[in-house]
Order: sequence, then C-alpha cells, then structure tokens
Amino acid sequence: MGNPAVNHTGAAGLTATEHRLANGLRLVLSEDHLTPVAAVCIWYDVGSRHEISGRTGLAHLFEHLMFQGSAQVTGNGHFELVQGAGGSLNGTTSFERTNYFETMPAHQLELALWLEADRMGTLLAALDDESLDNQRDVVKNERRQRYDNVPYGTAFERLIALAYPEGHPYHHTPIGSMTDLDAATLADARAFFRANYAPNNAVLAIVGDIDSQQTLAWADKYFGSIPAHDGKMPLRNAELPDIIGTEIRQVIREDVPARALMAAYRLPEDGTRECDAADLAVTVLGNGMSSRLYNRLVRHDRTAIAADFGVMRLAGTPSLGWMDVKASGGTEVPQIEAAVNEELARFSADGPSAEELERAQAQLEREWLDRFSTVAGRADELCRYAVLFGDPQLAFTAVSRALDITAAEVKAVAAARLRPDNRAVLVYEPTGSPEPAVTGQVDPDGADPDGADPDGAGENSAGEDGTRQ
Amino acid sequence: MTDADVTMDLHPMPAAGQVRDWAFPAPERGGLPTGLPVLRCERPGQQLVAVEICLDAALDAEPDGLDGIATIMVRALAQGTARHSAEEFAAELERCGATLQASADFLGARVSLEVPSSRLHRALGLLTEALAEPAFAATEIERLVRNRLDAIPIELANPGQRAAIQLAHELFPESARMSRPRQGTAETVSRIDAAAVRAFYEAHLRPVTATAVVVGDLSEIDLDAMLSDTLGRWAAESGAPALVPPVTARDDGRVVIVDRPGAVQTQMLIGRLGPDRHDPVWPALVLGTYCLGGTLTSRLDRVLREEKGYTYGVRAGTQVLHSPAPDDGIGEALLAISGSVDTAATRPALDDLRTVIRTLAADGLTDAERDMAVQNLVLVAPLRYETAAPVADTLADQVEQHLPDDFQAQLYGRLGETSTAEATAAVVTAWPEDRMITILVGDAAQIRGPVEDLGIGPVSVVAA
Repeated sequence: MGNPAVNHTGAAGLTATEHRLANGLRLVLSEDHLTPVAAVCIWYDVGSRHEISGRTGLAHLFEHLMFQGSAQVTGNGHFELVQGAGGSLNGTTSFERTNYFETMPAHQLELALWLEADRMGTLLAALDDESLDNQRDVVKNERRQRYDNVPYGTAFERLIALAYPEGHPYHHTPIGSMTDLDAATLADARAFFRANYAPNNAVLAIVGDIDSQQTLAWADKYFGSIPAHDGKMPLRNAELPDIIGTEIRQVIREDVPARALMAAYRLPEDGTRECDAADLAVTVLGNGMSSRLYNRLVRHDRTAIAADFGVMRLAGTPSLGWMDVKASGGTEVPQIEAAVNEELARFSADGPSAEELERAQAQLEREWLDRFSTVAGRADELCRYAVLFGDPQLAFTAVSRALDITAAEVKAVAAARLRPDNRAVLVYEPTGSPEPAVTGQVDPDGADPDGADPDGAGENSAGEDGTRQ
Repeated sequence: MTDADVTMDLHPMPAAGQVRDWAFPAPERGGLPTGLPVLRCERPGQQLVAVEICLDAALDAEPDGLDGIATIMVRALAQGTARHSAEEFAAELERCGATLQASADFLGARVSLEVPSSRLHRALGLLTEALAEPAFAATEIERLVRNRLDAIPIELANPGQRAAIQLAHELFPESARMSRPRQGTAETVSRIDAAAVRAFYEAHLRPVTATAVVVGDLSEIDLDAMLSDTLGRWAAESGAPALVPPVTARDDGRVVIVDRPGAVQTQMLIGRLGPDRHDPVWPALVLGTYCLGGTLTSRLDRVLREEKGYTYGVRAGTQVLHSPAPDDGIGEALLAISGSVDTAATRPALDDLRTVIRTLAADGLTDAERDMAVQNLVLVAPLRYETAAPVADTLADQVEQHLPDDFQAQLYGRLGETSTAEATAAVVTAWPEDRMITILVGDAAQIRGPVEDLGIGPVSVVAA
C-alpha cells in the first residue's frame, strides 16, 4: 500500500445501502448530513456502443429529448422546476452509459424523484417531431462548437476510429455524425426509448442529507409502478486482442496552429488490477508537471508546448491511453516521436521509481477525494460501479485498490502495452505555411485566455460526456 | 398524449419539504506578524483544503512594453526556489497530492493550492518557498517565455479567445492596459527576461498587500502553528497597495468580424461596460442578467436554442475588471453575451437576440421570471459551496475586489429584496440595443452582407 493521505479502510466512513424495486430498478442510497443537499443520479445502461450503423449519435440525441417534457412536465419544465427549486441538473452520454442528475437542496429531493420517474415512465407521451427537429439542430451545433470549429477538435473521434476497428461498437464516438443525426426519425427515438429506458435497465443513486427510509418510500411511490420491460438489443461483440499488433498511422493536414503528435494505446479493461496499473503507468509518464514526458519534452528538450497522457477507462472493451503532444516552434514530429519512444521504452524496461509511484498514487488519490467531495460525484461513482461492475460498494474501495498496486505491476503492464505495435498514431501537420511560424514572429495581436466566462453562467445543458481527457 | 404512452400511476407534483438552514460560511480574519492578513474558514468534512493567496500584482502594474510579465512572474514562482529545482518542486508538490495554479488578472494575481489536509503542512512549506524564495533562474524564465510564445497562436485559433481579445481591443482606449491581451503579445512577451521578472516580483509581492485564505476541514490541524512555521517565514518590506485608475469604454453600436474563412460557426461576443459589485444595483443586475441569459431557460436560449436550434447555448454574464475600495473611486465590470451559432444562422440569430432585448426593454421581466431567478440563485448556494475550493475562491474574490468579508453572505438577502422592476431596470440599462459592440468570429464572405443588411451599425472586417 502506498502512503495515503486519508485512511481508506472502511471507505473513510462512507456507506451505501442497496435495494431493488419489484420492476427491477436498482437503488443505491448513501447518507451524508454535512450539507443540506441531495444528489439524484440515474444511469441507464445504454450508450453509443449500443448504436447501430447509420444511427450514430442517437443515444446522445435521445438524452437531449429527455429534457423536452413528459406526461406531466411540459416543454422545458424539467429544467425550470429543478432550477427554480435551487437545484442543478444535466445529462451526459458516453460509450457505455447515459446518465441524468439533479443535485437539489435537501428539502426538494422528492421533486427530483418525481421528475425522473415521470420521464422514465411517460416520455413518449410528450415526444414529438418538433422537439426532435429542434434538438437535432442543437446537437448539430454542439458538434460544430466542440469538434468541427476548433483546432484539433476531431482528433478524439479520429483516434477512436483508428483504435477500434470498423464495425466495432466503440468505433464511433457519442456525438455521432452529421449525416446520421440528420437521418434520425421520431420512430427511431421512440424505439430507442422502448428498448432502453426501462426501470430494469437503470440504477438510481441518491446521496446526501436524506432519510433513507423516507427516500426509499418515495422511490417506490414514484418509480414503483413503471412496468419493467425487455427489448434491449444484445450488445455487439466488443472483444479485441490485447495488442493491436501493428502500428496504425494517419497524417492530417489541416489549418491547425502547431504540429501535434497524438497516440492511442490499447490498455486493459476497467475493473482489473492491470487497468489500475496502466493508469499509474500513464500517470507517471504523462500526468502533471513532474511526469517523464513533461520533463523530457517540455523542460529538457523544449520540443513541446504540452505533453499529456491519460486513460479513458472502458469496462466493455479495452481501455484507451491517449497521448497528446503539441510541438514547440519549428520542431518536427519525428524528433518528438523518437523521444517519446525512448521514454516509453526506458519506462517499460525499468518501471517507475519508488518516488514516481508515490507521486502517481498521491495524484490518483487526490482526484478520488475530489470526486468524492461532492454528493453528486459520489452518486455518479456509485452508479458507475453498480451499472458496469454490478457492485456499487466497489466505489468506496477504488482508491485502496489503486494504492495497492506495486511497481512491478506497473512495469509489467507498461512492457506489455506501451509498445509501438499497440498504438494508433495521429499526426497533425499545419497547412497554413510549410514551416510553422517562428516563435517571436507570430501575429502581433497576441492572445489571452479570457473567453469571457462571467459569473452567473449556468449549465450548458445536456452535453456529451467528458470522455475526452 | 395517448393512453398507450402512459402505463404508470401518475402522482401530483410533490410540494417542497422544510428548508434546512444554511448560511454562507463566515471566515475568521486574522494575520501574521509579518503583516500577512489571513482569512480562515472551517468546513467540516472537507478533506481537500483550499488555499488562495491574493497578490497585489495586477496587470496595470506591469511596466510599459512588458505586458504579460505578471503572468510569467506568478507562474515562475513554482519553477524552482532556493531549496528545490523546478523539477524537484513540481515533484514535491505532486508527492503531496497537491495542485498549484497561478494566474494574473486585472484585479490582482492569485496562487491557488489544493491539498489533502493531512499534507497541508508540507504543501504550505512549498508554497512559502515559492512566495519567499523563488529562484527565477534565467533558463526557467526563458522556457516560460518560449512556452507562452508557442501558446499564443493556439489561443488565437480558438474562436472564443480570439473574440475576447478583439472585444477588449474595440472597447477600451489603446492606452488602457485592459485593451490589450492579459498575457501579453508576442512582441511584449519576447522582451521579458529573468531580471525583469525579479524586479517586478520585488516591486509588488509583499505580505502586507497580500492575503491568505485557508478553507477546509481544519479540525485536526493547529493552523496557527502551521502558518507561523510556513507563510510566517515570508517577509518583505512594507508597501502601499497599488491604485488602479478607472477605465472608460466605447459604446458606439457596431460590428467587427474577425475573418475565419470556411468556419462552420460564428462565435458571437457582445460586450459593454457596467458597474462593479460595490454599486447598489449589483443584486438587480445579477437577477436581470440571469433572466436574460443565465441558463437554458433564460430568454436568450429559450428562443435561440430551444425554439430555433441556432446554438448549443448563449449566455449573458458579468466579469468584474476593476473594483477599488469605495473611497478610491468607482469600479467597472465587463457585461457580455456570448455563444456560437451555425454560419447560416448568424443574421437570424443576431436579429432574434436584439428582438429579445427589445422585448425585454418594452415589456419588462415577469414576476414569475424574477421569482424563479431568486429561488435558483439563493437556494443553489449550499450546493455551489459544498466543497472548500469555491468558498476559498469567493472569499479571495471579495478580498481582491475590496468587498467586506460578508459580501456574498449578505448578497443572498439582497437578491430576495430586489423587485421585478429593479431587475428589469438593471438589465435594460445594461443592454441598450443600439449601444452594443458585437464581435463575430466567422466566415466574413458568408456573414458580412447579411449582417450589414441588419442595420445594427457599421460592419468592419479584420484578419484572424
């Protein structure tokens, strides 16, 4: 065990109880009376991996439709009622699940349960072409804003498509393609709801300043009469060999401000010790300001502006290690790539030093403390472990497992996985000029990170999951 | 609705339960013998402790021609000290599981530390080294300068950041620091060297004009002993706080297009100058701004997003830029409306946006809208301030803005006392239809003509 900042035995005093309604809805309750707030979080076991060819983006588009009213909630009533009650809310869609959450002042918990039950049970009563057409346009603008209109915006999508082969359920990202978004029909949306939005395909976690008995009674009252139904399409096979077997490479010539080297490594599936070990390996290599890649490329060689490496954990298929290096000045990609290869090879041969492992574990622990410091963060983690691994209690012991990993395990997974024949590489070459602008001679109007982010700005609504790093 | 679509028992919407008491945490104000004021705030159960150091090194203090030096200086604090090299310092911080961030802005510079409480002592020791004994090695400053120069084109390629730079340029007179990018231009940044950084540090960083804010679960901690052993070692000569002059802004209605040929969206940023938080109108402005563009169900998104589908979201907000103590003059805030719309929707979106503002001016807000805004802004507080970091951040904002330590605590009551008419007046005054400067980052070949046809003032085009 590492050198923990807090005592994680007994999950630092946190507990959760599990229940199941007759219709199959699983409930996870966790009391915490420090602050008068209560988080409600629902995970539906459906994500972009369940989509079929020609209908990519449907899970996420559907998530937007869940905010467009149900039998007893008109128009934007879901947003209005939650915000008017002092709550905050949103929904996100990832490869493996769709989640919805309301964090409420504790005295408004019952309202959130009523709202979630109404749309779980009766969404189709309100769903119409007008909502679909409107939210289709909103999602297309979301896609433009977050992916198509920003430099490197489609890098993640491209890497995913390289790392998971054609036809694989993870080959496309949750945002979907413009063509498929255009093609989605009301019939598709209705069928999607009927297939996936069933109480027996969901987990509801409620965390915070709650009375468990009362909360259970409310959950039963509002959700209990929603009929269970089975219509889910079987998941397509997502198995892949541990190693890609050969390096995949794509060079993009685009109007981007700097050269970039990105790579996706195939890593062990979430829920395994090997995945925790891979997370630590990648943290030592590329997370933070004392990582090996940062020290080498940004501090010493000064060939890169930034060097990041992180893990996107996936439970249903191999996880993805995503490296992102932006070149400094006129540095050419091969020079950076040679240094990266050298660092990864050295790490695979030697493993982390004791100090590096201690730092990586301290960082992962801090990130865990951060997620668990809010009732909403805890509710989301409980749902995650319940939906993806069948046991919400695993959320409380996740950090202990990461602290239990040894240097030998980190070295082993690095040697097995962080190899050139186990990666998809994406190289960006700017089209603007044959040579990137020489530093010191760039546009004199300068830049700053202003982005006018005034206070009072609320949620940007139903968004796609931050599955990116 | 068809019966076939409702197969569950429907229940009436439940009523709210009893509101549970919550108040914005009151900090305890003290100080160290070196003159460093300390605000501390106990937040039971918050194992991640947040520390904010407010430094009197605002951008207006930067020497002529060295825009960006405040940012480089404050970042350089963590790039090596008398006891640790830059690499060792980063490693020691990460060994604590800590994060350290540094930034400089018009209100001052800020160093923010977050760390598990069991390692607070060690992390405060490192923070003290950074403040009291920075190395400012020439090689590290060169690296930061070069890194900054590399970052500039990347930021310029981001439509939101590009729009913000152009807006500052259009709003403020050239002589005002506010008219120029916060982190400098390639020209000014490339002039920065280690000697200049050290001179700026020595001129502006001193405990008496700084403030430390510590928030979290401090129950197991002897904070006084810890502070005297760490931040208490930071000493420097006394000095008076800097005074920043007031700023004026143009408000002749016009449009500037930053040309990005082929852009699939137009980034809109509309700006004006408004009052700071000292102004009695502030609570009304907060309410009115929320009703205009605070959320997805505010007036702008109700039309532009939820009716027309032109955008993923448009927001209105405020950002305080200058906030002297009341005896030292009047402050200012940037009022902004921002969002991205697909290129073809540029003209109709601007047209609808102005119709929303015109309708608001003509008919005012409704009581229901005002009530909902108050409910949201007041009742969301326990949630917004659940963890230590946002509490520390708000307390530090108050310090930087020369506001009383109970400003936020009092604001909730004042919001509740603000009438619909007052909120309407504040937001209508803030956004006169014909006195807004509009920045559009997008494809000029496609949007210039349609925007000119709108007749909302002269339209000019600049290169990206």
